[in-house]
Amino acid sequence: MSTAEFDQSVETLEPSMSGRSPALPIQLTARDISVWFGKRKVLEGVNIDFPKNTVTALIGPSGCGKSTFIRTLNRLHELIPGAALAGEVLYEGKDIYSPDIDPTHIRLNIGMVFQKPNPFPSMSIRGNVLSGLKLSGMKRSNHDDIVEETLTAAGLWNEVKDRLGAHAGELSGGQAQRLVIARALAVQPHVLLMDEPCSALDPASTLKIEETIRELSKDITVIIVTHNMQQAVRVSDYTAFFLAAENEPGHVVEQGPTTDIFSNPRDQRTLDYVNGRFG
Amino acid sequence: MSTIVFDKERVSELRKQKIQHPWRKRPRKFTFSVALAVLLPAAVAAGLLFGTDIPDPLVMILVYLPLQLVAAALAAIVSKGKHGIADSIIYVFAIGGSVFSLVILLSLIFTLFVNGLKAFSTQFLFQNNVYISPSTPLDYGGVGHAILGTLLIVGISMLVAIPIGVATAIYVTEVRGRAVPYVRFFVQAMSGVPSVVAGLFILTVLILTGALSTSALAGGLAYAILMLPTVARTAEEVLRLIPEDLRTGALALGSTRARTVMKVVLPAAKTGIVTAIVLGMARVIGETAPLLLVTGYSDSTVLNPVSSPISALPTYIFANVDQPYPNAVTRAWGAALVLIILVGILFVIARILGRGKVK
Ligand SMILES: Nc1ncnc2c1ncn2[C@@H]1O[C@H](COP(=O)(O)OP(=O)(O)O)[C@@H](O)[C@H]1O
Ligand SMILES: [Mg+2]
Repeated sequence: MSTAEFDQSVETLEPSMSGRSPALPIQLTARDISVWFGKRKVLEGVNIDFPKNTVTALIGPSGCGKSTFIRTLNRLHELIPGAALAGEVLYEGKDIYSPDIDPTHIRLNIGMVFQKPNPFPSMSIRGNVLSGLKLSGMKRSNHDDIVEETLTAAGLWNEVKDRLGAHAGELSGGQAQRLVIARALAVQPHVLLMDEPCSALDPASTLKIEETIRELSKDITVIIVTHNMQQAVRVSDYTAFFLAAENEPGHVVEQGPTTDIFSNPRDQRTLDYVNGRFG
Repeated sequence: MSTIVFDKERVSELRKQKIQHPWRKRPRKFTFSVALAVLLPAAVAAGLLFGTDIPDPLVMILVYLPLQLVAAALAAIVSKGKHGIADSIIYVFAIGGSVFSLVILLSLIFTLFVNGLKAFSTQFLFQNNVYISPSTPLDYGGVGHAILGTLLIVGISMLVAIPIGVATAIYVTEVRGRAVPYVRFFVQAMSGVPSVVAGLFILTVLILTGALSTSALAGGLAYAILMLPTVARTAEEVLRLIPEDLRTGALALGSTRARTVMKVVLPAAKTGIVTAIVLGMARVIGETAPLLLVTGYSDSTVLNPVSSPISALPTYIFANVDQPYPNAVTRAWGAALVLIILVGILFVIARILGRGKVK
């Protein structure tokens, strides 16, 4: 993936343009994604390649369409009344919006962690971790091991190991967020979308989650929306900078290897944003 | 500001602190003025109620209420200044309103117990009405057959109305199909159907055509017509309160719509759904008119729900209450008391079932 400006972004479609690791296969591709809510266009012409087993950070000011974009990648966007979309999302080369694709299959493979923790209140802590298996009908054995592994990865195991049967509603906001991360991991997604997963977390849990993301990226592709520049630098291989001018749809101003975006951006607005001068 | 470190020496001293609730302290003039504001109007009203012939409701509405409002406003000015007046007036109305409804409810239950207990005995609960005439002493006969009849009829109506009602709510809030506005309109219109019309409907469509005979089943279907809109609308309100995040969260785990509803949304709404069911049951259990039309009457214990006339508590009350014999009237009171207690028991059972454990 090269550092391409928005108007040159068609070039990023060519895998051969990948600047850094030309060998990495592309797992997920957004091609000319534009999004509307009703008649209002909120996102325009987003082209991003997500190479397999890498971490991509999506940054940009609030309201520029990062959450909207990330929700187009696992077909959650279409659940909103009035939602519309143009373009293609290719998962392992196939358009996830083509009519013969089952969205539940896509969502099982492309998991998601939301900004606001949403544990299922009718289930226990353990029940929540395993809920994805039940809900998707996925078969995995050794449930005890899954619970321990995923909760450990999410940095919650030590706090809850003695009360796995307790109501998930008893957890604090930060603990609930780590629980839903564990829940997302339990179904072993190939891609994990994370929409500001750490915005409700304390610094220690945040570091733990970042460690987990690095660990996960050995096996899966992670796409993370974050407002925390240090976090983007710490966890991501690639970064895409979203921006929306007033009353204009958002678009990707600049994207490329994280080191380039942060140390040597081509667009003045990227430079200003990553240095905290607006947004 | 300079750095200050916690002084460990003070720990033993701090450990002696007593539990306090500073916000509970009131200035003396507050307590005093509130006490006056409560007692004075009450004293005046009591004087008029017991001392004069002015009708009681007039005293309460024309003397007591205005007096209480003024007194509360004065008390508020004394203790909180002018901005307390609005508060005090709202308090008076809120407390007044709740006391009013409580008094009505308690006097109703009181009357019911006073009159109904005269008929009460074990045999009254378990025997039926065979060989009992309106003047038979209260030592004989009972409403066992009517309790069974009510349970049977309400049970049948629940079997019909709850699945359809909950399914309707699910269609409106979860499936969100095209027909939602029409379905909602229909349910709303249905909740305005008078109970006698529900009875007439079953009578003309099912009984007079010969499809059904006068029976518990016919009564259950008439009750179901009345119960359905209550269940559907309450369940809909409850499902609406379930945060969208939960549905999205489940779908993001690869869940189907159906599984999301069955395993996430409905369990999260369980207590509310139980409330919907309880309200639906309470809506119908005392309805008399439809039963008069479609269940008929029987003095004996009927277990056959499809082809035999059957009595229920409301029809039993109806048959006894206007008899020129005191014993029959007392039996009617007893049956009314049984009905209220039955509702109470069903409420408690529903609450217990609704609690459940997490998985
Ligand atoms: N459900 C919705 N209905 C209508 N407009 C929406 C909805 N969700 C988001 N938007 C609009 O889309 C734009 C992008 O929002 P969002 O993707 O949440 O931004 P970000 O995540 O970057 O802060 C905003 O202008 C917002 O007002
Ligand atoms: Mg967002």
